[in-house]
Amino acid sequence: MVLRRMLLAAGTVLSLTGSSFAADMVIAMPNWPSGQAAANILKLAIAEKFHLDAEVRELGTMLAFAGMETGEVDVVPEVWRPNFDDLVKRYGQDGSKTVVLGERAVPAWQGLCATQDAAAAGIKDVADLSDPAKTAVLDTDGDGQGEVWIGATTWKSTGIERVRANSYGYAKTVTLVEAEEDVAMAAVDAAVATGRPMVFYCYEPHHVFKLHDVVRLTEPAYDPAKWNIVAQSDDPLWISKSSAPVAWGPVEFHVAWSSGFAKKHADVAAFLEKVDFKPDEISAMSYALQVDRQPAADYAKAWVEQNKGRIEEWGQ
Amino acid sequence: MAGINRRRLLFGATLLSAFGLSTVASVADTEIYDAKTRKWVKYDRATARKMFARNGQPPEAFRMQMVKFRTAEKPGTIIIDGNQHFLYLVQPGHQAIRYGIGVGREGFGWAGIVRVGRTAEWPTWTPPAEMVARDPNAAKWAGGQPGGPDNPLGARALYLYEGDRDTIYRIHGTPEPWTIGLDVSSGCIRMNNDDIVDLHSRINVGAKVIVLMQGAALYKGV
Repeated sequence: MVLRRMLLAAGTVLSLTGSSFAADMVIAMPNWPSGQAAANILKLAIAEKFHLDAEVRELGTMLAFAGMETGEVDVVPEVWRPNFDDLVKRYGQDGSKTVVLGERAVPAWQGLCATQDAAAAGIKDVADLSDPAKTAVLDTDGDGQGEVWIGATTWKSTGIERVRANSYGYAKTVTLVEAEEDVAMAAVDAAVATGRPMVFYCYEPHHVFKLHDVVRLTEPAYDPAKWNIVAQSDDPLWISKSSAPVAWGPVEFHVAWSSGFAKKHADVAAFLEKVDFKPDEISAMSYALQVDRQPAADYAKAWVEQNKGRIEEWGQ
Repeated sequence: MAGINRRRLLFGATLLSAFGLSTVASVADTEIYDAKTRKWVKYDRATARKMFARNGQPPEAFRMQMVKFRTAEKPGTIIIDGNQHFLYLVQPGHQAIRYGIGVGREGFGWAGIVRVGRTAEWPTWTPPAEMVARDPNAAKWAGGQPGGPDNPLGARALYLYEGDRDTIYRIHGTPEPWTIGLDVSSGCIRMNNDDIVDLHSRINVGAKVIVLMQGAALYKGV
């Protein structure tokens, strides 16, 4: 999830044609569903309250931060932490001060999930993954050893999941699989459809929790003293040098905007400061766009229509 | 150990939950439940052929059927589960049409997202050079075997592309319907001819195809 969002940034090409000339401001839109819905909701709400025309531009977090520094981008709807703490540090109040991070945050979560069939087979806690007698039911390639999907190869979180597997010890008892998220989610669909147990990396808010009855594996609570992740940029061997035999720490995401924009439109910045999406709203957005296939703009229009009171409050 | 043994398929009924029966050693083989003898039997080439001769069709689990299938993938997407020998065609309303498939001897050796780049009816089969070199039967068709009932690609072929590049993998028919449910072909996905004709009639060129991973050892990307 983490690096995915960075790579998207790198892979997205800015298109500076047509509507961008007319727009009063630019809202960066990531490629994950809740961020897409949120970007469109902010566009419509700002148009209604402040009569500003916002361009929603497809842009990952990394490029969006760079854009906020240069003044090309004004608002980013979802900045994940601790995932993008390095960007927050570089551009935020401890750095160049070109980016303001909203104080309100949506609580999020990441860890390992099990299908009901995996839980019924006795896999409920991360310690169960170190028991080959239990994890054999996760075997999908006939070698007698179970598999666990730990994320897409390009995600930053995948490396950390590997660290956790090494630290807990289950890297020895299960095969850690990396594959694109669509492949893994389809594997969950097929596993649930046939009653086959499966354990996989998951994050919340995410539509998988509405689509399937999956459970989080329990594990020892986050302990900053035990969470020793060597920075990837400092050492190519960071995975083998890191250790994290505990749950992920608190995860959350914020709205962010550029300092330049806040100077020009203090009223809009004050509005953004009050935006308070709830986790179940984010899940609903993810589900509506990803599962029900509603276009982000249509979903946003209906949302703004149904939440006039909320938007009114944000504007006060 | 509870749950379904991945390779155990119920013969003469739908999938069975096997509680406390499976052993780790057995999972390398395909096994099916023979309702006549009430025993799990090894589902190898000889058994499959015998059963097919007896029933004229593959075990029920491998026959085309509508199943409940909750997914975020849109209708028209193909999901291939080589481990369980199923191919799903996603339908509206959280359902899918499930077909039985035969897969490569070593599993697929790959996983990922591709698309149907093109399709063909009664396709010509051109054996790869290394096959021509070692197999006199294949050598006969070095220039391409015309489509027909004996052609190994069967009635239809869906050519899997990554972007605009042919991956050399195909979902195709077979003149040997008893091989559905087995690991026999070389990297391709085979279906019996009626099923591939049905699938071909329902999909569009460009359809998204997701091939599920079968363990990291086999995951090499396409």
